[in-house]
Amino acid sequence: MTQMLRVSLDLLREAARRRWFLALFLAITGVLVTLGLSLQIEVVDGVIAGSKLFGAVFSSDMVIADKVMGAVSMAVAYASFYFGAFFLAVACSDFAPELLAPGRIEHLLSLPVSRWQLLFGTYFGVIALAAVAVTYGSLGVTVLLGAKTGVWTFSLVVGAVVGWCGFCALYAAMLTSAFFVRSAALSAATGVGVLILGVMSSYRESIADVLNSGLGRQAFRAAMMPFPRLALLANASAQYAAGTPMKVEMMVRLIAGAFIFAAALLSVAAWRFERSDY
Amino acid sequence: MTAQAAIAVENLKKTYRGLWGPGHEALRGLTLRIEAGVAFGLIGPNGAGKTTFIKLLLNVARPTSGAVTVLGGDPEDVSIRARIGYLPERMHLPTALTGTDFLNSVATLKRLAVPLRDVRGLLERVGLGVTAQRIGTYSKGMRQRLGLAAAMLGKPELLILDEPTDGIDPVGRVEVRALLVEEKQRGATILLNSHLLAETERVCDRIGVLEKGVLKLEGAIDDVRAASRRWRARFAPGQVEAALVACGFVRDGDAWAFAGDDVEALNGALDRARASGARLLELTQATRDLEQVLTEALA
Repeated sequence: MTQMLRVSLDLLREAARRRWFLALFLAITGVLVTLGLSLQIEVVDGVIAGSKLFGAVFSSDMVIADKVMGAVSMAVAYASFYFGAFFLAVACSDFAPELLAPGRIEHLLSLPVSRWQLLFGTYFGVIALAAVAVTYGSLGVTVLLGAKTGVWTFSLVVGAVVGWCGFCALYAAMLTSAFFVRSAALSAATGVGVLILGVMSSYRESIADVLNSGLGRQAFRAAMMPFPRLALLANASAQYAAGTPMKVEMMVRLIAGAFIFAAALLSVAAWRFERSDY
Repeated sequence: MTAQAAIAVENLKKTYRGLWGPGHEALRGLTLRIEAGVAFGLIGPNGAGKTTFIKLLLNVARPTSGAVTVLGGDPEDVSIRARIGYLPERMHLPTALTGTDFLNSVATLKRLAVPLRDVRGLLERVGLGVTAQRIGTYSKGMRQRLGLAAAMLGKPELLILDEPTDGIDPVGRVEVRALLVEEKQRGATILLNSHLLAETERVCDRIGVLEKGVLKLEGAIDDVRAASRRWRARFAPGQVEAALVACGFVRDGDAWAFAGDDVEALNGALDRARASGARLLELTQATRDLEQVLTEALA
């Protein structure tokens, strides 16, 4: 277990030196600073009397601050779920192919680290990295809006954590693909592909209805069955962010589905890794 | 009582299976024992199975059949691998890190508490020095030196080096050779796979010649080089060539060669030559360089 953590920490250390991740954190910081400097909100007795963005009047309606915060948090949660998943899928796509590069994997395997420790250490390292990015971004927006409106709610952070569960499923697929074909491009494509399939899977019944009944429809339903319901998870994330969480039972099912999907794929990756010669 | 073997393999076979066809037999029943403290050079042509042999010693690849024992245990055991330093052929390093970062990373995974001072000392020792330069900007030779430093980190009992001087300039090769000699003097066992036979010759005590997965020759380097069963004699000018030929000598450049390892026969031939008027100036056992050894072993 300790060795697995060491692999994860090592990955984080390497990530901290990479331009992609510096760019990610600079981009998040840039958005937060820009919003912080350009967004002006006037709050009177818990009611937003007006707002300006880059000096221009954004809204002059009188609305309750809580309500606005809910809508803004929901929009931020949706945007960060889809853009965040896409950006992280691209940014993290070369970790596993790099790990498995000829000349590096031999060296890593010669160290006192088991194959499963390398595999799971890499997985947990990357999802920890995603967790840091998600927490940083959501906490930044929370502090920014809290400071501007005086309404302090951490529901956006909770929503972001729910969204992060979706990335855990995506990265398991990306990592597993690398053990079959060592390619960063394919790994990124797998992540984006699973994201799209996860959205389709969320609406599989609606999509199935437009297909001709019979074998095709059944095949579509069967094909969609294993994928995590990522669009529903995005909805759940947005609802949490808006402070209107969905039923706990539904939430647990969605998150469990994402982690079961991840565990199944990681088992395949472990099987493949253990059987491989390098 | 023999010394403890650092490496012992018994009837080791490795076949790389293809999707179609019978696959490729990289090792065909290799049996070899390398004693602790020995510097062993593995030589042979490309595709002989040298790198495969090394990978089997490190559990990087798994044998098809046969037994592998390294430092008294199974290389699958992480505590065994913790005692090994390895430099792979064409090492791929994380380009975003600095040399110090990389060595710290290796130390962490090797569960070593290496003070920064020692890491810096090791970088100095391999001729890199401490810089904030990222590995991505390193030359091939610098990367190789860093790989060597990683292998030597923590003073491992066994050093397995696959082409350690690949990409290093001639002056650098001399420095690397000196480092390997120091490691040997420290008591480390060294398994060296190098295409540079002069390097193997200068560093190693024993060699093995591998060809098509079969060990063709193995032994102490001096024995292998001297095993030509030839003697080289130089006589004072003026002797009759025909008499020397009659005594069993054959012309070998500016000297004469006598084939055979029978000392009595050699002395008999020398007595007859001297009786015919020849005056012996020098007698040496003819030795071969490793190039000749390799050529003859593969012939």
